[in-house]
Amino acid sequence: MRNFAVLLLKEETALFSSPIAYVVMTVFLLIMGYSFTLTLFLSHQPSLVHIFFQMFVLFMLTVPLITMRLLAEERKLRTLEVLLTAPVSEIEIVLAKFVASMSLIALMLLLSGSYAAVLVLFGDPDLGPIYSGYLGLLLFGAALVGAGLLASALTANQVVAALVSLSVFLLLWIIDNFGWLLPSPFDALVTNLSLSVHFRPFAVGSVYLSDVGFFLSVALLMLLLSVRALARR
Amino acid sequence: MLAQHVSKWYGPRHAVTDVSFNIEPGEIVGLLGPNGSGKSTIFRILCGYLAPSSGTVAVAGFDVMTDSLDVRRAISYVPEDAPLYDHMRVEEFLRFMARIKGLRGASAASAVEAAAARLDLGGVMTMPAGKLSRGFRQRVSIAQALLGDPQLLVLDEPTSGLDPHQVIAVRDLIRALAGRHTVLIASHVLPEIEKIATRVMILLDGTLLTADALKGSREHPALRLRAAGPEAAIRGAVSAVAGVRSVAAEPAGGDAAEAAEPACYLIEAERRPSLAPEIIAALAGRGIAVSELSEAAPDLERIFLDLTRRPLKAAA
Repeated sequence: MRNFAVLLLKEETALFSSPIAYVVMTVFLLIMGYSFTLTLFLSHQPSLVHIFFQMFVLFMLTVPLITMRLLAEERKLRTLEVLLTAPVSEIEIVLAKFVASMSLIALMLLLSGSYAAVLVLFGDPDLGPIYSGYLGLLLFGAALVGAGLLASALTANQVVAALVSLSVFLLLWIIDNFGWLLPSPFDALVTNLSLSVHFRPFAVGSVYLSDVGFFLSVALLMLLLSVRALARR
Repeated sequence: MLAQHVSKWYGPRHAVTDVSFNIEPGEIVGLLGPNGSGKSTIFRILCGYLAPSSGTVAVAGFDVMTDSLDVRRAISYVPEDAPLYDHMRVEEFLRFMARIKGLRGASAASAVEAAAARLDLGGVMTMPAGKLSRGFRQRVSIAQALLGDPQLLVLDEPTSGLDPHQVIAVRDLIRALAGRHTVLIASHVLPEIEKIATRVMILLDGTLLTADALKGSREHPALRLRAAGPEAAIRGAVSAVAGVRSVAAEPAGGDAAEAAEPACYLIEAERRPSLAPEIIAALAGRGIAVSELSEAAPDLERIFLDLTRRPLKAAA
């Protein structure tokens, strides 16, 4: 893993020198800022529960934009050939891309922390749901980035990578609704695949190990499959 | 480097079929073949970027599949069309490549400086790679390959896109690398390979037609003789020299100046060393004046055409 830091620096530079990172951050903060202000003035409640659910949806729409170029662009421009014929392992490449993307997610969450700061300054919010909400979003973001990275590893076309990620996210968002149509034990299986089922407790202040494990397992599985996709040439 | 029975299929299509060859340290080997003959596929397999469908490749004693990272430490690859990170400045890109090849701090800086000086990149070091001309991209790609002092350099069409001056500079650079590095270079431009390589392999439709196209010429050197006198007497005198394999009159050129010159003959010898002193003595003994006797350069074009037509005829 001695080249991980070098690759991470390259990924951070590529990410923050492209307009996508700034567009995604701006859109995210504008929409969330508007929503936070509106919710606060209408409800007069010092809570971020609504904001967390909106961030959950917005993450599904914006993460594909962050991850679509990660490996698809390298494949299309053939820089992957340069990278994979140098003495760096596929694990280092995938991890560097994952951590760089997560740094953008973390930065977006950090900036949105200003909403929590406003609540703390001018009200008396229950901090438990705020902490758990942010933890949930971070874990949820990791699962999405992992899946987006895998989609990007499987194609040289960024648009295809983004559309595949988006479709999978949207399907996994609402998949629990299909649980009603299926007999046992398939209903439980389908319900437990749902992203919203595992995120909901975080947003309202409950942290279950099963939900933490779900998002971490998805992220790790996606990273493992991305490494396999890269190694299988 | 040792490649044994390497094949690569893309679905039902055979890109490379049962290719075997060996490259000794310090050699400059050219891989010649038309576009689409499988040169780039072979190079990608040698560098560990593609897995062969069958067969094995060993570089510096390491297997390309099982010890991929060790192979990649011993090898540097310049892909065709010089892919670069367009958002990076040239200096930044070279520093990045130096660091992933294991160079750190002052050694990375001095390696980048030396490679940039060698490829004359001083004027573009602060430019983004995306704004470079084709020639400069190619030179940056070659510069990155020199970083880390690799044992084996694999260059896929390194002179494509370069102007004549740059082609000469790259050719001189590759020649200067001989001995210190082993070089494998692919091209579809025959004179390019002829000028750079010490050994030429020829590939057609994924099949290696020969691993040493010039072997015959080296073992049976040819001499070009220009002498005035009756053709029968000249042929007789030269044929009588021990070690001469054949004598053939070369057709005279079309222009008047060449027609006025003494007739030209191509002599094929059975072995080295050169038979020039014996031939001159034999001709002088018969009173025939020799105006030129020199070793003829191997005709790679003829060898290439002979080899590539044979399979086509067989297929027909």
